[in-house]
Amino acid sequence: MMARRDKAPEMAITEGELLSMTNELDTMHRQTFPDVRKTLDEFSANVVAISTKQATARRNFLMGMGGAVLLGTVAACTSSKSNSGTSPTTSSAITPSGSTSSSAPSSPYTGDLQVVALAAALENLAVTAYKGALAAASAGKLGTVPPAVATFVTTAMAQHMDHASAWNGVLTKAKLPAITGTPLTITADQVAMLNAAKSVPDVARLALSLENAAADTYTFAAANVTDVGGIMTAASIQPVETMHAAILSFILGEYPVPLSFIGIDKAVKPSALTA
Amino acid sequence: MQQPIDERQFVGLLEESDDLQSDAMKTARRDLNEYVEAAQQARVENAAQESRLFTPSRLAAAGVVGAGLAAYGASAAFAADVPSDVMALQTAAGLENLAVFTYKTALTLPFIGGSSANGVVKAFAMKTMAQHTEHGAAFNAAAVKLGGKAQTATDPKYTPIVSAAVPKIKGPADVVGLAITLEDIAAQTYVKDVGLVSTSELRQLFASVAGVESQHKAILLAVQALLAGGAPQLIALPPDAAKLPAAAGKVGFPVSFYPTSMAAPVNEGAVK
Repeated sequence: MMARRDKAPEMAITEGELLSMTNELDTMHRQTFPDVRKTLDEFSANVVAISTKQATARRNFLMGMGGAVLLGTVAACTSSKSNSGTSPTTSSAITPSGSTSSSAPSSPYTGDLQVVALAAALENLAVTAYKGALAAASAGKLGTVPPAVATFVTTAMAQHMDHASAWNGVLTKAKLPAITGTPLTITADQVAMLNAAKSVPDVARLALSLENAAADTYTFAAANVTDVGGIMTAASIQPVETMHAAILSFILGEYPVPLSFIGIDKAVKPSALTA
Repeated sequence: MQQPIDERQFVGLLEESDDLQSDAMKTARRDLNEYVEAAQQARVENAAQESRLFTPSRLAAAGVVGAGLAAYGASAAFAADVPSDVMALQTAAGLENLAVFTYKTALTLPFIGGSSANGVVKAFAMKTMAQHTEHGAAFNAAAVKLGGKAQTATDPKYTPIVSAAVPKIKGPADVVGLAITLEDIAAQTYVKDVGLVSTSELRQLFASVAGVESQHKAILLAVQALLAGGAPQLIALPPDAAKLPAAAGKVGFPVSFYPTSMAAPVNEGAVK
């Protein structure tokens, strides 16, 4: 995000010192990643057999949960007619593409792999949103963008790309196509909201709703995916999404930890996947 | 961006948050009952299975009739999952009890809960302490309904560490550092426990709390950075975002995948 720096930051800590702190954290990140890869490899090894064996039962179970697992904030902004996907882009006006049927009757993604594909699509949607925010900021559509907000966007986007890569790794090892776009029923409306954003708070609120939806979806996935590797992957990503949400809430002036328990009411249900 | 708010407005936000929380708690209580019912059902099913598979003669033949199993006494037939679930819940409750103790102690310090405290930090400490109390109650309720005892003590491994650290606290940064450590250990423990407990419902319970502890950590990391930078005036709600340095935008969420290397073992805080 091309931040306009109208005023110099009034802070005793230097950018160098703070960057040094965050570099230490980056080192932590690199140390954590091999463990995640190991979990994902184990998940990949197990998931094909499990999903094949339990596809029918899992699909029935997920559909049964559908009544309880509703789209919260995201759903409230989403029309049932929207079945579009979009590829991440740097255009300042994001355009949905790749419409498919919301029911996806011939979907190759079943059982646990349906949840994996849903997760990859959600991560791509977050990347799309943040890329769109960067593009809008570059085009001067959001007004003055504080440097810290710009850093938030680029860092959160990179983490969502890591998440998408992890989930897609499972799909490709299962000999299924990676989810490269955003084949979700909610995509078109989210993109429309992004294109309508006129300020940093507008974008932050949209991002907050996506982060909360992702967190609730992973809470649901941790409870309902059958393979322990998949469970652990969802469990290790969910707190990262909640951390994004906390910082976004803080920036927006809302209480950053409003709930004592992360719910599943804002979860995106598997039937939202259109691939 | 909005202007920074005063403490009264912050309290208003907390009240709004409490309204949200009240709704969420109704769901949480219902969910907790579901967690327990599912775990009890799993217990019954396990018992039936275990009683068929692990008859005394088979256990003896396998050489697994040891002190650990004997300790479960009459519940030995329920061996596999429930004792582990109960221990995980008790350990979690012990970590929550320690967090409550730590925030409670911190709030007695003038620079956290007294006249020289930052209003936002004070309110955050109070709210966070209350949330940890709720977590502890939820974990203990589940443990008791599964036939275990409530863990009323603090975590045995980290309590001495906290006790040793408290007298050395000189200012807010020391408290924040200690709190970050506790929140991180709790979050890592619960993330790992998601993969260890035996039912879907318990997985959801641990995941739902892990996400909250990590949020506490995110905010504390941001506060820590501002304190380290000598800019406590920027700890406001909302912060004056224009004055925050760029790197402050990522200090709150350092990794893409939450680690578990510091997770407490399942039995660390089990009731003996």
